[in-house]
Amino acid sequence: MAILLILTSMAVGWQRQREASAEQQAAQELDYRDWLNQDIRHPHDAAHQGMHVFKPAPTLSIVDPGISRYAGTTVWLQAHRQSDLKFRPAQDATGLQRFGDFSAAWVLQILVPLLVIVFGFNAFAGEREQGTLRQTLSLGVPAWRLLWGKALALGAIIGTLLIPAVIAAGFAVVLGAETGGRADAMIRLAWAAAGYAVYFGIIIYLVLGVSALTPSSRVSLIALIAFWIGTAVLAPRAASDLARRLHPTPAKKDFLAKMETDLSAEAERIWQEKFGVKAKWSPDLPLNKWGIALRVDDQLGYAVYRRHYDALWDTYERQQRVQEWAGLVVPLLALRSFSMGLAGTDFAHHRHFTEAAEEHRHLIQDLMSEDLVKHADTLDHQHFAYQAGKDLWKTVPQFQYRLPAAGWALRRNWPGLAVLTAGLILSFAFSAAAVSRLRVVQG
Amino acid sequence: MSRLELVIRQEFRILSADRTIWIVCAILLALIGYSLQSGMTRISRQEAVAAEMLDKQAKADAPLMAQLKRIQAGEERPKPFANPADPSNMGSSLGVRTAYMPAAPLAPAAVGQSDLFPDQFKVTYRSKVYFIYDTAIENPWNLLSGNIDLAFVIIYLFPLMIFALNYNLLSAEREQGTLRMLMSQPLNLAALLAGKIAVRASALLGLAVLVPAATLSAARPVLFETLAWWSALVLAYGAFWFACVVFVNAFGKSSAVNAVALIGSWVVLVLIVPVVLNVAVSLAAPVPSRTEMAARTRVITTEVLNRYAHELRVDYQYVAKPEVLVPKDGKIEVPSRMRAFYHMQRDVDAEIQPTIDRFELQLAKQNALARALGILSPAAVAYEGMTALAGTGGRRYAHFMDQVETFHQAWKAFFIPKIDAGTAITAADFDLMPDYTWTEEDAPVVRRHAVQGVLQVLVPAVILIGIGAWRLRRFSAV
Repeated sequence: MAILLILTSMAVGWQRQREASAEQQAAQELDYRDWLNQDIRHPHDAAHQGMHVFKPAPTLSIVDPGISRYAGTTVWLQAHRQSDLKFRPAQDATGLQRFGDFSAAWVLQILVPLLVIVFGFNAFAGEREQGTLRQTLSLGVPAWRLLWGKALALGAIIGTLLIPAVIAAGFAVVLGAETGGRADAMIRLAWAAAGYAVYFGIIIYLVLGVSALTPSSRVSLIALIAFWIGTAVLAPRAASDLARRLHPTPAKKDFLAKMETDLSAEAERIWQEKFGVKAKWSPDLPLNKWGIALRVDDQLGYAVYRRHYDALWDTYERQQRVQEWAGLVVPLLALRSFSMGLAGTDFAHHRHFTEAAEEHRHLIQDLMSEDLVKHADTLDHQHFAYQAGKDLWKTVPQFQYRLPAAGWALRRNWPGLAVLTAGLILSFAFSAAAVSRLRVVQG
Repeated sequence: MSRLELVIRQEFRILSADRTIWIVCAILLALIGYSLQSGMTRISRQEAVAAEMLDKQAKADAPLMAQLKRIQAGEERPKPFANPADPSNMGSSLGVRTAYMPAAPLAPAAVGQSDLFPDQFKVTYRSKVYFIYDTAIENPWNLLSGNIDLAFVIIYLFPLMIFALNYNLLSAEREQGTLRMLMSQPLNLAALLAGKIAVRASALLGLAVLVPAATLSAARPVLFETLAWWSALVLAYGAFWFACVVFVNAFGKSSAVNAVALIGSWVVLVLIVPVVLNVAVSLAAPVPSRTEMAARTRVITTEVLNRYAHELRVDYQYVAKPEVLVPKDGKIEVPSRMRAFYHMQRDVDAEIQPTIDRFELQLAKQNALARALGILSPAAVAYEGMTALAGTGGRRYAHFMDQVETFHQAWKAFFIPKIDAGTAITAADFDLMPDYTWTEEDAPVVRRHAVQGVLQVLVPAVILIGIGAWRLRRFSAV
């Protein structure tokens, strides 16, 4: 059943990723072609129309779609303002979406630990009840060797179950990755697999430790199930609550209001300084300065937008750090972050794309304004009569986006891996301590 | 005293001496308390933001009117893009109106879609395609994780508390050997089971229904009917899990097997089925591609830019002749470029509508399908039902978007004739401008969906109890 779920989820992920990639590439091409082929018009009108850029779906989103259902996919690069990424797939879904995302990562993170529990809860407790534990120990088999053996057996069961999934994921990456990105995607997959292995290691030792410690297999099962429920359904929500309490997300109204206030103040100062006028586009500003005024106005906006969005996004990243560290108590939280970090579907990657898109917007605006300074500001008392054509449109390059390299992702996600490794050590120490208490007489 | 009553009294005595029920009730109470407290904080913050917005909106017109009078009297030189006499400015950001959806009385009980969809839109002449896809500000990670709201406590955790108290109703008696003794009395198994469940159900269901009902109706202007439907849904959902308990117990397996069977059914019905259902529904009625929509928007924008190129080419007159900014004899010169913008936005709206309609049609199909397939997972039905009653479900957001649409149309219809004719805005116009007012969802629709939800949960419950009762007759006390 677990294999079936993993393979089905990967098939769904594969289909979604293929579809999204194909559409994204086609749309990106089409959009650029439209830009090049537009009629003659005033460069600022062209800037107003702008371009759309589309976020590519990383290859590994087949395995872990991460936040991608809740993050926008399309951004409109328009004049004057930075836009949010629009069209979150979750907006086009029913309320059922909120139960979770059906993905291989979800099966691995939530359901596989349950499987480990089912296979392992009576590893020691069951043997004790049957009396075989006493026999084994009386033969002089050291307890730690017993622990190793059982851990290995559990690991082997899980491993065997997961082999088809790993092979399928490997194939998907090889087939799905764009040329050039293949090696990188394989490196990301390998690291993600290592993260999952550490995670399963933690669960296995934890299960064995609890099984050795509890007086009966019934108690062992109840304790483990309680831990699992806490991990799977309660912890992610509680950690989000905690993260929001420590680093509150601002209300949209406040965020926008502060940004607007800042923009107006900055505009007032700079327009006064550069053009000696109090208000933007005051009648005192002659038309032969509109080109340069557009440039000045756009550029003062870049800095203000950057400052405010950076602050917001830093808050998001701080919230995520809280969750990573909470991984010391609930390993799932650290793994979730690590897994989507390497799959390229976490917030850091989303931000990387958004920033690249915004850079491109600056480029379009600056090229258009520069042309206005050269050609419209020199027309005496006209501005919008000036029309540019293909030669100008061609100066704007096509938006090219590449997923950052695996090393970039690793540098951002080492705390997650460190927390997981610490978790493995703790979990191993716990099970070793639990097993060392096993005595022949007690058994 | 009837036998059932006897069993109930006996169970009550035994249970109150047992720590388990107190622990479970305390945990349930703590979770309900936490979820309600954070729900109330969330909603009071949201309502404060809305109140501030309404207040600001109510006060926004007065200074504009005063400014307009000063301009008419020649006491103030109008600003070119913030001129209250100019209909193209008033229909845009200067006169902007905010369309909003107030928090429903039961909103603290379920976050639903409220962290994803905004409850306010600034409506101007701009095409709706540029603002209806805005989202609330929230870290996507938090959206993915979900919230600890009352709906979550009831849907995910409440069944587990039911299991904790009931998984071994008969098996424990048999394992302790007391069942045989009980059965030697003139008492049938069904009465014994019913008595045991009655005590536990009244404790758990009582807490899950009464505490939120009392808290919410004390804190907010809750409608009796909505609260009654909410409570009915919680009761039905609880009844479903109690039915599972009866069903599992009736098979006469050991306590351990019962516990595993119950947890297994929870994993399948609460965790797996809704998630798989979501994928199934989205595959059965896929929404068209948003990428395509963006491309379509762009094509339309290019077309309208070409269509109004002649108007866009005309320079602003006010730079050479500042007097054009001042209204004269009820007329004002609306800049050609501004007129072009209005026409462009109007055309974009009209031409993108078929594309938007296709999305809405598919989403409506998905919702209908999800409602029909809900019978496969009581958790999914209960979730949809609870968010709908809390006013944070998809249906109320769709209802809100309809009102935004109507208001947007009215707003444009008011300004475009004035822009075309160059009619200046007067003080009297401020009273005539369309105002946005929120209308609540139709009560019959809410009621029909609530009834459907309650039935979808109750029918499987009745079936399970029926099978359980039939199995009980073959139950062996030994």
